[in-house]
Amino acid sequence: MGLLSPQDEATLKNHLSVITLPVQLVLFTQAFGGSESGDVAKQILNEIASLNDKITVVEKSFVLDTEDKAKYKIDKAPAIVILSDGINTRMRLYGAPTGYEFVGLVEAIIVAGTSKIDLDPETMKWIQAVDKPTHIQVFSTPT
Amino acid sequence: MAAANELITADAIEATEFMDLSRKYHVTGVPKTIVNETIEIMGALPEQMFVRQALDLPDPPEAT
Repeated sequence: MGLLSPQDEATLKNHLSVITLPVQLVLFTQAFGGSESGDVAKQILNEIASLNDKITVVEKSFVLDTEDKAKYKIDKAPAIVILSDGINTRMRLYGAPTGYEFVGLVEAIIVAGTSKIDLDPETMKWIQAVDKPTHIQVFSTPT
Repeated sequence: MAAANELITADAIEATEFMDLSRKYHVTGVPKTIVNETIEIMGALPEQMFVRQALDLPDPPEAT
């Protein structure tokens, strides 16, 4: 049984219909010693990908795929890296994307799939003026 | 923010899954944002206020 209800699927499919660019969701999980959340993350991503043919899921091993881990700077799992037409958007999610993280994931997929950022023009100016590496970590919980 | 500037990386972290990190950053409520290990933002803020704090920009002059 899917995690999303048929009604949620219909709503989500409609939200995702604005996507014009291919979006790859790169999922890093641990087969051994990993938590159940890796399986939940995989199921959620597959359900999202089934709603729009521009979205694909690429599975990677946190243990074996060391080159990819280094490329995307992944230091814990489960981790989801969002690519826009193969380009790293530098938006990553750690843990199963349920609750608030699910909303964030969908928003990130839409940004990656449309190249449109829904921010105030003045805020965009501040962000574009950043000239040094900046690492933002947002902690949330499922409920 | 990450999508708008290639120098920015944005991580969304499930706090209960990564308890060691939550302890490290003293996450006692969510959402909590940490920028470059130094700036802490508690709660959800309006867009401009959040970006100002995250980028350590000065407060806007008060309206007269």
